[in-house]
Amino acid sequence: MAIPDKIAAAKRINEFLRGVVANAGLRLKYRISVDPPMAEDRDWEKPEILVELSGPDSPLLLERGAELLRSLELLAMEMLRLPANEHEKICFDCMNHRSMRLEELRMAASVAAERVRKSGVPYKFAPMSSRERRIVHLALREHDDLQTESQGEGGRRFVVVSPKNYRPAGRSAPKTIP
Amino acid sequence: MTGEQAGDMRALIEQIAKALVDEPEQVAVEVVEEDGGTVLELKVAPSDVGKVIGKQGRTARAMRTLLGAASMKLHKRYSLEILE
Repeated sequence: MAIPDKIAAAKRINEFLRGVVANAGLRLKYRISVDPPMAEDRDWEKPEILVELSGPDSPLLLERGAELLRSLELLAMEMLRLPANEHEKICFDCMNHRSMRLEELRMAASVAAERVRKSGVPYKFAPMSSRERRIVHLALREHDDLQTESQGEGGRRFVVVSPKNYRPAGRSAPKTIP
Repeated sequence: MTGEQAGDMRALIEQIAKALVDEPEQVAVEVVEEDGGTVLELKVAPSDVGKVIGKQGRTARAMRTLLGAASMKLHKRYSLEILE
């Protein structure tokens, strides 16, 4: 399902950001695009509204895993009452952070795949947002000998890569001494 | 953008809270000066408390992240409390 009125949503985001940037005293500019054309290597995400921030305070947005950038994005999505399954329709970006992060995640996924294949033992990624977990799941989908799943609760959810049909050795059941 | 502009933390929290809730006229932000810094006490309609806290506290955390970044620029410590 698409955002019912994208132009109105974009206007609300604009109004919201204008206030936030001024009240927070942040030196930031932004550009909002509706149905933006995306580069081919980014066809994994098709936002209906893209917000690109720039300016002297950009590094502040990207600190600690782009915490501030993601906070602004979350507040905008909550303001628009976007249901969780439609969160990918709005995308906040700054200094190409998104595509760089995508590259990073894809590389991490292929390193993890190698490791699991060699060791035969599952590999756990660090906790990630649902959007980032999805990127990892998609990156590993073509490896037929591996399986991925998300584990953990809430903000601590993470991806686990394991060999296909992997059975943990006596994790849940108590170990029996032979 | 012109020069350095000082942020207004109370206005920041009020503006965001008003954007998030169903009853913006019920949003109030009280500024309380304490030894360790300034506390912003946010009050909203009882039915709106969940909206400013969010799932697993994510919305409140996002507001605190923003407040942290903005107050760092002012070299002052601010914290946000949501009154229930």
